[in-house]
Amino acid sequence: MLAQPAVHTRSPGSAKQMASRRSLWKDLKRRPFLYMLLLPVIAYFLVFKYFPLYGEIIAFKDFRLGDGIWGSKWVGLEHFNRLLHSSDLFKIVRNTLLLNLYGLIFGFPVPIALAIMLNEVRVEWYKRVVQNLLYLPHFLSWIILGTIVIGLLSPGSGFINYVLQAFGLDPIYFMGNTFWWPFVYVFSGIWRDAGFSTILYLAAMSSIDPHLYEAARIDGGGKLRQIWHVTLPGIRSTIALMLVLQMGRMFDVGFEHVWVLTNPMVTSVSDVMSTYIYRLGLVNLQYSYTTAIGLVQSLVGLILVLSVNRIIRAMGERALW
Amino acid sequence: MVVWKERVPRLLLYFILGLCTFSTLFPFLNVLAVSLSSGEAIRAGSVSIWPRQFTWDAYRNLIDDGQLFIAMKNTVVMTVVGTSLNMLVTIMAAYPLSKLDLRGRGLVLGMIIFTMLFTGGLIPQFLLIKNLGLMNTYWSLWLSGLLSTYNFFVLKTFFEGLPSELEESAAIDGAKDWVVLVRIVLPLALPVLAALTLFYAVGWWNAYYNVLIFIKSSTQMSLMVKLYQMIDNLDPALLIGDSTNANNALPPEGVRAGAAMLASLPILIIYPFLQKYFVKGVLMGSVKG
Repeated sequence: MLAQPAVHTRSPGSAKQMASRRSLWKDLKRRPFLYMLLLPVIAYFLVFKYFPLYGEIIAFKDFRLGDGIWGSKWVGLEHFNRLLHSSDLFKIVRNTLLLNLYGLIFGFPVPIALAIMLNEVRVEWYKRVVQNLLYLPHFLSWIILGTIVIGLLSPGSGFINYVLQAFGLDPIYFMGNTFWWPFVYVFSGIWRDAGFSTILYLAAMSSIDPHLYEAARIDGGGKLRQIWHVTLPGIRSTIALMLVLQMGRMFDVGFEHVWVLTNPMVTSVSDVMSTYIYRLGLVNLQYSYTTAIGLVQSLVGLILVLSVNRIIRAMGERALW
Repeated sequence: MVVWKERVPRLLLYFILGLCTFSTLFPFLNVLAVSLSSGEAIRAGSVSIWPRQFTWDAYRNLIDDGQLFIAMKNTVVMTVVGTSLNMLVTIMAAYPLSKLDLRGRGLVLGMIIFTMLFTGGLIPQFLLIKNLGLMNTYWSLWLSGLLSTYNFFVLKTFFEGLPSELEESAAIDGAKDWVVLVRIVLPLALPVLAALTLFYAVGWWNAYYNVLIFIKSSTQMSLMVKLYQMIDNLDPALLIGDSTNANNALPPEGVRAGAAMLASLPILIIYPFLQKYFVKGVLMGSVKG
């Protein structure tokens, strides 16, 4: 999803409500319906979200299907040890971080630039049409978008290579070339999400006080100066927040986006955490080993998110919790 | 003089935005044109955004073959049931937890937030579904994707924002809790509920990863899994073109383009509603900067 919801455990309630603290039992007797609604939800979380956490212990065992999670033999840190000495580890961590980094460098500024441009458009219908059409790719799955990208870039029948040849250049096999593949990955990501990401920036711009623009105009500031001194400061906190959130996802590359675009020729640059875990775990059935990798990934992700929340707080923004 | 200073940058801006829009749409126009062009034209790579040597061959083959439509039917079932369950459970979770004085509220919220931060990995989840005997059933998908925490927080925040007098006055009139929820709270939440329904439904329509993991039988495949198989290896039977001209056998690209178009069709049809509600939903769920 684009943005994180505000997670607040305490919102301003009426003081009267907070004051009347009853015991759980009394409250249950007074409003059984609410607890009845909640009970299946709690049960669901315990079974489907918390039991798999217990399942994580197979990272420290030699798991066999026949022995079950509890019955399998403990092997301590053997899998983590193997992971540390595996040449694959370096490759997948590097690819995961690099693809995210490219996405940050090339992709992050695009929605900001689009939003600034859209904000300057005075013809209402044109603005609406452009916005609505820019959102389109965001609603389609990576499988569909990937099919389209692969077709467009195909060396034999893709239109892009037809254009290259028309200019007298050699056709490029983008999908099978380790130099071009990351570009394809990053630009297809921009294609899908840049338009949709403008929503938040535009919302932040709409809450800028028009008097500020007025004042800037009276001081003789041209359009560009107004953008620099009014618009950008007005969305500074949104930019910072989005940047930090994206940093928090540094160790996580979505499965489908890579999966649909990858092929055996480019695994050296396209193999990331999620695809590696799928392949080794569910195709090669190395349950314990891949659980160990997943555990490392989850822990690093957790540390990242917690640090990010710290940073947002330090910036004086409303933190996620 | 002033006119020049004002006009030119303005026109340039509109032109750049128009160009961005065209670049966004170009791949879609191209895939549509390819799906309607003859094998000969596709192989030459010369199809841009207008079909060349117009033909319905790709679509005719896909319809004759029918496999894509079986997958589509499966996906409709997955989407309708999945989304209904999602909405039911999201309301069941959000309504009680929007009551600030509910005992144990903080504990349950903490339990939900923690799952956003730290999840059991792929393998433990896979083993759980396997042990419950849910492999190859849609319940594996519906249950593992029963609630989106993001959507839950959007709805909870909305419920918390409703004036408490509404419910209090109904309670004084002797209305039961569930009557208050169904008669008063939910009707007020209709726009939010519509947005969340669309969030969930689009997610189900586009589902791929979970289906790949939990569903192995080919008769139960979802649309996106079927489409991906077509990228991977295409059934040669789908490539038969106009029999009078051997040159017109369809290349795989043409059939894939047709399949991609058919798979996007429902999303494109409801697109006007989609984007309106998605924008609303994003703004409702976002951190106000």
